[in-house]
Amino acid sequence: MAQEQPTALERFVNGILPENPVYRQLLGMCPVLAVTNGMKPAMTMAGATAFVLISANIIVSLIRHLLKPHLRILVFTLTIATFVTIADRFLAAYVYEMSKQLGPYVPLIIVNCLIISRCEICSSKQGVGVAIADGVGMALGFALALASIATVREILGSGTWFGLRVMPGVWPNWGIMVLPPGAFLTLGLLLGIAEWVSRRRSERAKSSQ
Amino acid sequence: MGERQEKRDYLAQAWLVIVLALLYGGALATVQTALSGRIAENKRNETYNVIPDLVPGADKARTAEVVVVGGNGKEVRVYRAFSPDGTPCGWVLPSSGQGFADRIELLVGLDAPCSVITGVYILDQKETPGLGDYITGEDFRDRFRAKPTAEPLVVVKTDPRTETEIRVLTGATISSESVSGIVNAAVRNLKGPLLGLIESQVSPAPETRGVETPSSSGGS
Amino acid sequence: METFTGLILIFIGAALINNFVLHYFVGICPFLGVSRRTSTAFGMGCAVTFVISIAALLSWTLTHFVLRPEAPLPRWVWEIAGGNPATHVDLSVLSYIVYIFVIASSVQFVEMYVRKFFPPLYKSFGVYLPLITTNCAILFACLEIMKHLQDPTNLWGLHEAITLAVGGGVGFTIAISLMAGIREDLDLCDVPGPLRGAGIALIVAGIMAMAFMGFTGVDKGIQSALGIGF
Repeated sequence: MAQEQPTALERFVNGILPENPVYRQLLGMCPVLAVTNGMKPAMTMAGATAFVLISANIIVSLIRHLLKPHLRILVFTLTIATFVTIADRFLAAYVYEMSKQLGPYVPLIIVNCLIISRCEICSSKQGVGVAIADGVGMALGFALALASIATVREILGSGTWFGLRVMPGVWPNWGIMVLPPGAFLTLGLLLGIAEWVSRRRSERAKSSQ
Repeated sequence: MGERQEKRDYLAQAWLVIVLALLYGGALATVQTALSGRIAENKRNETYNVIPDLVPGADKARTAEVVVVGGNGKEVRVYRAFSPDGTPCGWVLPSSGQGFADRIELLVGLDAPCSVITGVYILDQKETPGLGDYITGEDFRDRFRAKPTAEPLVVVKTDPRTETEIRVLTGATISSESVSGIVNAAVRNLKGPLLGLIESQVSPAPETRGVETPSSSGGS
Repeated sequence: METFTGLILIFIGAALINNFVLHYFVGICPFLGVSRRTSTAFGMGCAVTFVISIAALLSWTLTHFVLRPEAPLPRWVWEIAGGNPATHVDLSVLSYIVYIFVIASSVQFVEMYVRKFFPPLYKSFGVYLPLITTNCAILFACLEIMKHLQDPTNLWGLHEAITLAVGGGVGFTIAISLMAGIREDLDLCDVPGPLRGAGIALIVAGIMAMAFMGFTGVDKGIQSALGIGF
């Protein structure tokens, strides 16, 4: 008996908030902590991850009927590594400064559990349309998570947003925010807030029944 | 019977992996040939774009790369700056060393006879944001301009009284001392070989960028 | 003597000053996921150190001889095949793919070794052992080694690469064991609901990262004390 699988629209919406890769699934922490000291690097990383995620989803979905259980992880990894190399080269060619700033974190997209898990859960089982929707949804959710943390860290830590000054001159830049401790603390507190919001929502849903 | 089926399955899967590997390899080779020129250009421009700032009057397009053997026996690729009319107007030396937090990479600009520092540019640093990372600012870099190369530079906390003193960056003593130490090391290591090179060469400026090796090394 | 102090500095740098978890943010997933009990955490740390060392050995060898710009093996093959000696031979675009396969193989090797010689440990690891493949820390170590094999005038030798890898693994083990010890105590505390689990673990990691920032400048100090220059 065929199991009902989520539609493209459901996949898309799921990825943004309900199953947000960072806040709900706790995947891809490494880039989230590393590149969020400013909005520019964060958004560049979001773009690169989106490219790899969507491309890998498309390819895996196209060859899904040829995949056998034993070698599928190998195929996923090969595909993802190829697209990450392509993304890395494009960044080095067209936004060299940003590529230097992101450094080793772009190749680390290869081991970003998010992409392998989407290949495994969605694109190896469903058609190209659904795979694309899933990829776009998850990528948007990831970008949202990156943006939220980067906004907090950049505004408090450098007084700027996307490099433009937003804090008054008297603001003493909280240097700790752009350093590793700030990353951990920000993510921890924001995770707490996200968890609190989702609990409130489920309590309200329960009490309204 | 089941075993043969299994073997056939494995074979089918292996074919898939091989075909994918070839396809991906082709894609990567294409990307590499298409973009490697641009990437190399970007890397080169990192240094070349700063040369007019480090050596006043230099034309970036007329810079020559010269490989010299430094005083410590290691080969270093330095840049010889020429003005638009072809006269040599200075040198740019790359140097690096341990800063407070991590390695600092910088470029030192010298005038043509290697007697005066014309500027310092920080290429890469990971010093403390808000404190040590002001070494990349104009204010700190300007403190190195017009300093003589005859003696090593010293970082002091008051206003500089002699020609070889540099005022420290407030709150970043170790970062400041690291930068001056790296500059001193570059001068100490390369001044001798470069002076030897100037003496032995009377060649005109190249028309375009090129790499020359010295006819006689001036190493000690 | 200078090589030896250089190695010590690389080791301390990777283990304490630029701790892989608390400074470079790699290896966070196991850091948060496997740090509930000190014994499993320490075991995981040792396994990671083992895998990282093997992966570093393999990736240094492959990068030094095949994958860096103008590497000896491709250059030799190119010239034997009669290619134009002036072309720039560069296989580095294949680096990431090679590294991930090296890592997968290293994990496979360690898995077989642990299964054969330490069966109870293998059982207690469960699914976490194959998951080391997606541990950013190992790929990060390979990338750092690749970074130091780019400049032909200043190439890292195998000893430096292995020191970096072992130092990184030791640093990971220190961080994860400390975190496990703290979390064992946290289980007995009254943590606010929304922060339980990952939230409070990250906040604790933040405070640990602040503590480890105290190591900044130690390598500079050692260098100054020993009088070795830039």
